Amino acid sequence: MYLQEYEARAGKAGSGGTSPTQPQHGRRKNLDFEPLSTTALILEDRPSNLPAKPVEEAQRHRQEYDEMVAEAKKRELKEAQRKRKEMKERFKQEDSIANAMVVWNHDILPNWDNMRNTRRVRELWWQGLPPNVRGKVWSLAIGNELNITPGMYVICLCFILDGASLADRESSLDLIKLDISRTFPPLFIFQKGGPYHDLLHSVLGAYTCYRPDVGYVQGMSFIAAVLILNLEEADAFIAFANLLNKPCQLAFFRVDHDLMLKYFAAFEVFFEENLPRLFNHFQISNLTPDLYLIDWIFTLYSKSLPLDVACRVWDVFCRDGEEFLFRTGLGILRLYEDVLLQMDFIHSAQFLTRLPEDIDSDRLFACIVAMPMLNGNKKWSQVSSSKHKKTGK
Amino acid sequence: MAYAYLFKYIIIGDTGVGKSCLLLQFTDKRFQPVHDLTIGVEFGARMITIDGKQIKLQIWDTAGQESFRSITRSYYRGAAGALLVYDITRRDTFNHLTTWLEDARQHSNSNMVIMLIGNKSDLESRREVKKEEGEAFAREHGLIFMETSAKTASNVEEAFINTAKEIYEKIQEGVFDINNEANGIKIGPQHATTNSTLSGSQGGQQAGGGCC
Repeated sequence: MYLQEYEARAGKAGSGGTSPTQPQHGRRKNLDFEPLSTTALILEDRPSNLPAKPVEEAQRHRQEYDEMVAEAKKRELKEAQRKRKEMKERFKQEDSIANAMVVWNHDILPNWDNMRNTRRVRELWWQGLPPNVRGKVWSLAIGNELNITPGMYVICLCFILDGASLADRESSLDLIKLDISRTFPPLFIFQKGGPYHDLLHSVLGAYTCYRPDVGYVQGMSFIAAVLILNLEEADAFIAFANLLNKPCQLAFFRVDHDLMLKYFAAFEVFFEENLPRLFNHFQISNLTPDLYLIDWIFTLYSKSLPLDVACRVWDVFCRDGEEFLFRTGLGILRLYEDVLLQMDFIHSAQFLTRLPEDIDSDRLFACIVAMPMLNGNKKWSQVSSSKHKKTGK
Repeated sequence: MAYAYLFKYIIIGDTGVGKSCLLLQFTDKRFQPVHDLTIGVEFGARMITIDGKQIKLQIWDTAGQESFRSITRSYYRGAAGALLVYDITRRDTFNHLTTWLEDARQHSNSNMVIMLIGNKSDLESRREVKKEEGEAFAREHGLIFMETSAKTASNVEEAFINTAKEIYEKIQEGVFDINNEANGIKIGPQHATTNSTLSGSQGGQQAGGGCC
């Protein structure tokens, strides 16, 4: 109401009531340029049909207004400082990536076997690999136990192109086609017509030929896609086949349910050890680890975490092996422990199968560090192999 | 929000028939033409009203690839309703219904209500399975049947709600033992203390996550 009246009067600016003091008058003139601002109302005289403001009130209003202006200026200054700091951070980060790249290319990679396990390299590794050495380091770390050559990859490809496939494999290929369009859809590079569509199809198809005993299992398309983003075609295939040949991955992609349950049981040992409150909360609400771990482990977090964060997880996974996958799971639970403790079954389950998109890798890694994989004095490998030895469930 | 009952649902059927899209249409009222593929299981929840009673649906959306069957089997436990979905434009997804049904019957409680759904009814020109075939299959196996489109939302609401109605009727008839949670039904906080301030505050806590 006041505002309307003010607007009506603003048209005949200055002609209104007399201002009691000079400075206020001056400011009023100023305000005529922005008659809609709410701060103007504070300084404005009352409408002519109401008694005029007492001097003290007018003074108080002026003071309040000055304070507001000062506050706004302070905020602006702070914001500018924050932005400058952010820029500085970013430059620093870019610098450190550039430096790390030089170190990886000139010192570490040429002396890989001697240096890979040194403390310095391990530390540098933990901080995340520079994007343009990432594929190379992954390849070296995953290794090629299966002795696959690029030639073998081409042979597998030919088999598929020749259509020399069993009926079984044919349905596999149909499924691959269906799933490729559903792999990282927001990136628009694997979908039909996208630059990596055929490549992804080739790598997955070749694998069904190379390992018909495993075939194509959903989740693989995400792993192959991440490798294709970081490696040349044949190298991506070699890394893919070797990665899937690791015991944990083989257990999952063969969907060996009993073996999977043993991995989950080992995970629960460390879960209870590190996060007892959340562990109890989940037990009470009947939220079992398979409900969220299946998606996380099958896709090595590439579907559930933002891609850049997932790649950092892959970095250390290549260094530390399966243990790190489960450690990352604990890190995620730690990161969101407070929210999860407030949720019931369905909300926790929804939350964990669809993690927030703004997850910050530094914060996540700080949480992962805080999850030592020790149960008493037993390490992951010991706990997990003791679960595997026990027969039955 | 406080509820009188909570029903657990499970959505099953071949990969790519639109299970996740049906769920998304039902819970969020939107359609995603290219949905992420589901690995393991995903979840949804929504409140509905039947006979003036608030009922919370807790929905388990499962992975469809055959390799995952051994995992999916463990999710039938405690389900009061199942949506068995096929794609009317892919005959093979219809042909696999028998094995899905066997699985469902074997691993769930015998009173579980099963709704057969022929999805993608908007793609009439590419139809491979006649509506009558779906109806016949449902009749033969004692299922409820509907054709839906997750894209246009046609019959989606009805599919989820009619399943709940059937479960609700079974409760009224005393078929379901609602005190046994293995039947997939939980009595909510609203049931005992309808409209009291107490149930209101409990309900507020329940909705902490904010989706329903």
